[in-house]
Amino acid sequence: MIARIGWLLARPGAAGRAPLVLPVVAFGIVTALLLTVLGGAQSFFAWTDDRAATYQGLAVVALVLLVVPLLTLCGAAARLSARRRDDRLSTLRLLGVPPGSVTGLAVAESTVLALLGSLAGVVGYLALAPLVGLLSFRGRPLGLHGVLLDWRAVLLVVLGVTLLAAVSTVVGLRRVVISPLGVRVRDEPPRMGWGRPVVALVVVAVCTAAMLALQVAGAVVVILAMVGGAFGGAFAVLNLLGPWLVRRVARRQLREARTADRLLAARTVLESPKAAWRQVSGVAMTSFTAVFGGCCAAVASLTGSSTDPETVTLTEDLVTGLLVTLVGSFLMVAATVSINQAAEILDRAELTTSLGRLGVPLTTVDAASRRAVMTPLLWVALSSALTAAVVVLPLTGVALMTRPLSLAVIAASIAAGLLVVRGGLSATRPMLARTLTG
Amino acid sequence: MTAAAASDPVVLQATGLVKTYGPTRALDGLDLTVRTGESVAIMGASGSGKTTLLHCLAGITQPDAGTVVLHADSGPLTVTALDEGGRSRLRRETFGFVFQQGFLLPELTAVENVALVLMLTGTPRAAAEHRGAELLAGLGIGDLAERRIGQLSGGQAQRVAIARAQATGAPVVFADEPTGALDSHTSAEVMETLLATTTGTGRTLVVVTHDATVAGRCERIVDVRDGRVVGERVAS
Repeated sequence: MIARIGWLLARPGAAGRAPLVLPVVAFGIVTALLLTVLGGAQSFFAWTDDRAATYQGLAVVALVLLVVPLLTLCGAAARLSARRRDDRLSTLRLLGVPPGSVTGLAVAESTVLALLGSLAGVVGYLALAPLVGLLSFRGRPLGLHGVLLDWRAVLLVVLGVTLLAAVSTVVGLRRVVISPLGVRVRDEPPRMGWGRPVVALVVVAVCTAAMLALQVAGAVVVILAMVGGAFGGAFAVLNLLGPWLVRRVARRQLREARTADRLLAARTVLESPKAAWRQVSGVAMTSFTAVFGGCCAAVASLTGSSTDPETVTLTEDLVTGLLVTLVGSFLMVAATVSINQAAEILDRAELTTSLGRLGVPLTTVDAASRRAVMTPLLWVALSSALTAAVVVLPLTGVALMTRPLSLAVIAASIAAGLLVVRGGLSATRPMLARTLTG
Repeated sequence: MTAAAASDPVVLQATGLVKTYGPTRALDGLDLTVRTGESVAIMGASGSGKTTLLHCLAGITQPDAGTVVLHADSGPLTVTALDEGGRSRLRRETFGFVFQQGFLLPELTAVENVALVLMLTGTPRAAAEHRGAELLAGLGIGDLAERRIGQLSGGQAQRVAIARAQATGAPVVFADEPTGALDSHTSAEVMETLLATTTGTGRTLVVVTHDATVAGRCERIVDVRDGRVVGERVAS
């Protein structure tokens, strides 16, 4: 039955082909970026000399950092796929189709779309591979051959993304009730107390103390454990602090809003600070790491062995790796916000059209949705960078005094990343304009 | 309610309106005159062209042929000659709207929904919210001003929509099936409120409905079929 109904529902509805095409594009982006990241990391694991372990360790750190934005992107794609056709699913419930079959249909549909998108993503990855191959580490480019994955690995990624889409759909559908009268369930905005920032401050203090203690610690294992602990602690802080910070900023902006777009933007964020945080949280991790690693690399280049060619190369490669990771995370966040924005436009199509009928200008609606994403993103990127600067406080000062250019490059990369996300949002403007004019 | 007379000045004049959607001729050379301060119900079966007519009168949709002229205080203005930006501004500043589902922004409070249209016309937020609160209080829901739309009943939400339509002091208010989603008791209350805030204060109300009870509350009923006016009645 699922196959028969699914085939019938595959026809374009009132919203045109967008509900079908958008998830395919979204999963295409997910797969292309995932394969690109894995391909880049793979080239590090081809090395077998005594420096290889250091690079492989750093590659693993970069992969771990990109997991959060990648999972967020995948989740956005899955939600877009699962929620686009709510009206049809609730109609099926109205017609008496059992809830299990409706859920099965939704999962089957998003799985097929994810598979199609993943296959398209493979094509995108192959197109990007020559560019990634130009990246230079250890004094030479990675090369096309180095970043091309084995076909079995590609197949595994395609199947993995497809499976993740199916699981995300099941999880997403558990949060809503598909009733004969509709699907959407809107919760009250959650309350967030002062507990989060207090815990966060304690963790920051512990991490800073741990970093200061590095000066007296001798054993490499102890140092690595402390660095790992500081990293983990700082990430925990960001996740504790993020939604709270986003909510505080939005509440302040709500109080100070003088124009319609600012009022709308603040209210949109307050509707779900966690969701606003989630879609930009990937940048928090990488901004933190970029400043953290940038400071460490800058100071490392000043040590006694800084004239050693291998150390110089490692320091340069560290900065390159940080920038690549930063760019990767911003690309993923840009894709995530574009997908979420497209989903939001489709979700609120009737309401947006009614605003157009009331004479609300496109500039107002566009500015409101842009602000609702960019303001949290700006705060998240800056506060993460600041948290990193605090955690490695003595190194930050040294780096600022002796290697200001390195930090300037990282700051410029963060600024460029913000612009990329802004560009991703602009891509949905024509869709918004069409919806507004009905 | 003050009854409009034939001698009252014309506020909207539609002439020879034609609108087609693919093979469907939604409006077929339709003429209509609306006078200042009157309430007009446009009635017809589904697909008769009544909503398309309202959209053309309000500048939401451009007809393929024909004209709509608004006789504003500043003089006659041909709505159909305006570009999208001009019509959008006209809808924002001169017309008020009440839709069947209300179409209020769920993330805003009731008073913010009303204030929003004033802020769009340049009113400072504090003044806009003050005015919004006054309007809500005038409609008997002042105590709900800080509630979000999801916390309101259908009738309460529709009153917020009516307050929003009033906010800019629009001389003409368009209502598209304003009671379509309400029970008969609430429907009567909402219609009473709508009339009191429009014709009751000298404004004009144009209502699209298929509900004879709702239409019966208006001064004049215009029957539309196949994109043409097939009859006009004075409500009993």
